[in-house]
Amino acid sequence: MDLYARLAPIFRNVFDDDHLEIGPSTTAADVEGWDSFAHIRLVVAVEKAFGVKFTTSEIAALNNVGEFVDLIAAKLQAASVP
Amino acid sequence: VTAATTEAAAAPLAPGQTASFGFIISADEMAAFATLSGDRNPLHSDSDVARARGFAGPVVYGGLLAAKVSRLVGMELPTPDCVWTHLDIDFRDPLYVGEPTTLAAEIVEVSQAVRAARLRFRICTVDGRLVARGTVELVYGGGTAR
Repeated sequence: MDLYARLAPIFRNVFDDDHLEIGPSTTAADVEGWDSFAHIRLVVAVEKAFGVKFTTSEIAALNNVGEFVDLIAAKLQAASVP
Repeated sequence: VTAATTEAAAAPLAPGQTASFGFIISADEMAAFATLSGDRNPLHSDSDVARARGFAGPVVYGGLLAAKVSRLVGMELPTPDCVWTHLDIDFRDPLYVGEPTTLAAEIVEVSQAVRAARLRFRICTVDGRLVARGTVELVYGGGTAR
């Protein structure tokens, strides 16, 4: 399953929208309710779901969902390297 | 306040840290909670009704136990400015007015990136009876501002 497919149910739960669709260019401005609290819920939920941890600067540097997916992929890749 | 000092002030929360405090629910607190919540179920105020339902006496409101979790989040942790974002609580056994009780909590996970933490807590009488347990999630140090 690709990362977008794994992320979609997390986004839908965090933003309480069963029909929310996300893509690489999706930004906070595109999603109703993406405020600072929702952002915290999203990051915490992603950390838990993927078993990764982010830093403040990594999260602050993100501009859209595509960059978030790239960051998750990099974390998972780093975790899989022995 | 610079980002660096904000980071330093918010740093202390870490997995494994614990907090605990004791409390005794009084009849006055029960009456106050009945007023503020509007819940006037006699199970919480009438000894005869409570006994008829199989309890030893008026049962402490679950909401009052949740209020003690609010105290944990707001007053008992090493980092100021904690705000809860999620609470789940299992009520396991009735608590009665006047019973000495302890709430004990442990931080089980911290997300430094957004200054969020998850704690597990247990509320037990001093003789070890488990009254409630649950988890609470919070942001600390103001969380992250976007």
